[in-house]
Amino acid sequence: MNQNADGPVRLTLYVTGDAPRSCRARTNLGRALASLKLSAETAREIDLIQSPQEALRHGIFATPALLRQTGDEQPAILYGDLSNEISLQQFLNGLTSQRSTDDA
Amino acid sequence: MKASDQHPEHLVKRETGIPGLDTVTRGGLPAAGATLVMGSPGAGKTVMCLQLLAAALQRGEAGIFVSFEESTDQIRRDAASFNWADVLSGTERLAFVDARPPADADASGAFDLEGLTAALGHQAEQLGAAWIVLDGIDRLLRLQPNPHVAVDQVARLSEWCERRGIGLLLTGKIPDAGHAQPAYLEGLEFMLSTVLVLSAELVGRRLNRRFRIAKYRGTAHTTDELALLMDDDGLHLPYEDAPGGSPASASTKRAGTGIERLDRLLAGGVYRGSTTLISGQPGTSKTKLAVSFALAAARRGERVLYLSFDELADRIVRNVASVGMDLAPHIESGNLWITARDAWRWLIEEHYIEIQRMLDRHQPELLVIDPVSALLKVSNAETAYTTTERILATTRARGITTVMTSLTENDEPAAESTLSHTSTLADTWLTLDSNVYAGERNRALSIVKSRGTAHSNQVRELLLSEAGIQLADVYEYGTDVLMGTARLQKENEEQARSRHQQIERDNRRRELQREIEMARMRVRQAENEASHLEEALDNERASESEDDSAARTHTEEVRNRRDPVRSPSRPRGESDEATSERGKS
Repeated sequence: MNQNADGPVRLTLYVTGDAPRSCRARTNLGRALASLKLSAETAREIDLIQSPQEALRHGIFATPALLRQTGDEQPAILYGDLSNEISLQQFLNGLTSQRSTDDA
Repeated sequence: MKASDQHPEHLVKRETGIPGLDTVTRGGLPAAGATLVMGSPGAGKTVMCLQLLAAALQRGEAGIFVSFEESTDQIRRDAASFNWADVLSGTERLAFVDARPPADADASGAFDLEGLTAALGHQAEQLGAAWIVLDGIDRLLRLQPNPHVAVDQVARLSEWCERRGIGLLLTGKIPDAGHAQPAYLEGLEFMLSTVLVLSAELVGRRLNRRFRIAKYRGTAHTTDELALLMDDDGLHLPYEDAPGGSPASASTKRAGTGIERLDRLLAGGVYRGSTTLISGQPGTSKTKLAVSFALAAARRGERVLYLSFDELADRIVRNVASVGMDLAPHIESGNLWITARDAWRWLIEEHYIEIQRMLDRHQPELLVIDPVSALLKVSNAETAYTTTERILATTRARGITTVMTSLTENDEPAAESTLSHTSTLADTWLTLDSNVYAGERNRALSIVKSRGTAHSNQVRELLLSEAGIQLADVYEYGTDVLMGTARLQKENEEQARSRHQQIERDNRRRELQREIEMARMRVRQAENEASHLEEALDNERASESEDDSAARTHTEEVRNRRDPVRSPSRPRGESDEATSERGKS
């Protein structure tokens, strides 16, 4: 569980198997999380090929898609292979690990 | 799916159930693969997709409606105003999917639609869906950094559906009626095999919808831009939904007009199943004449539909009662329906579809449209002529006798485009004129044409009275036509002149008889005189003969006295020679 100033944050990456854009998204997200000193496991991954009903449940139809849920707020979504570092950093802005926050 | 489309090399179609659309597409839309439904705002894209799904559900098929713009509740509310809305609710064969991306959704690099296909594949398999609708997918795809990638992905979606034997409907926006390519996803129309274009524009402050098949590869189809209607039944292509079939065979039976003398002029009336046009200026009793046709038919026990664009039904009933035409019993008996419609209130296509429905509902044997020229008042009147032709095509096909009135604004009816067009469609054309002479306005009726009928070309005066409508002869006086009082006066003069002529003839006849008698008398007198003269002549001749004889006798006696020798008792010794010598001397 991660959190920011507003409370706990959940990251979910929706992918479709090993589709090229999904693979790139995994890599790009892992790199971005690493830059924030977070592990790649910080984000939960849901493969819609394996669990298509999840797409219907969460309304995620474009993949890859990174969903950021903060508390009870409406989730934020960032579509794409996360190749645009600036927009990805903005999306992850303020995200720190629970431990890092505690250490501080 | 049509059995005729079972050959794999042929495009397999699935009926849409949308009136007219299956006709112009020759059987429906592709049963597998995408159809792009493009349209300007409010043109009816979403309604077309929902209506197609409703028809599919009624056939027992299943479908999925994926909305990228409106919530599921909103979609259901949109559909609720249509008669088929109930079909969409309470069924497990239809799935609504709310696929709206969050308002603040963003993109970092390109994405694909495999999540969508995964979800739809799962859903379609569960339902056995034959149709998938993706409504407003451009809202999601606008997040795609590269529009070309978005277009490719839609094309892949089409292929995905094609492989699964699912018909895919994609809606796409065009900015206005003049465009034929989507505002976003530009070029998609080139990649898909089937593209429908819906447009909506204001004409005369009324929304006019149009439909066109921009592209339909692998099948014959109608390429014209067609009228599209939306009403409680959803969308229609009204002119394409009309029942086909060949016209009813030409009847040789006549239908009386309700005016005995007019029937005689038309050799018994108009042919059943034919079309009659009654044209005239305001106040020339077009309606009353049309009602006469209707009343005559109702009295024969026929079903009559009277469609009025000018007057309300109760006004018509009241007004024609003044000329002895009582419609009430026939309305009550159900033989006569009088329906009043405001021409301006609806589009011409709406009038057309309503008339078709009324014909289906009432199954009339006589249809009256009073006046057909009112259709020209509607907002999109440029198609009024063809609409009239289509209505008449229906009535001819069904053998319905049709009477149309038409308002004439011009002194010369044939100069008006309405009439010049409509009259060519009519088998019988009656014109009503106002004739003003000597301070009176009177009505004149003439038969301009009546196909297949030896009819009089004489103008007749139309007389209205409590006894009904009658025709009377008119008199030409120089360049004028005499009617009304002038006609009565002329009739009196004619009668007086005729009586005078008869008296003169009688007098002359008697005079001649007298002269003949006198001549004969003179002949008899002359014959008597001649007889007397002949008698006198005979007497004269007899007298002359006696006189001559007496004279000869006398002469002989004288001679004898003078010359006794010569006497037969002459003296002896006198020779014959001596006698002869004396004779010479």
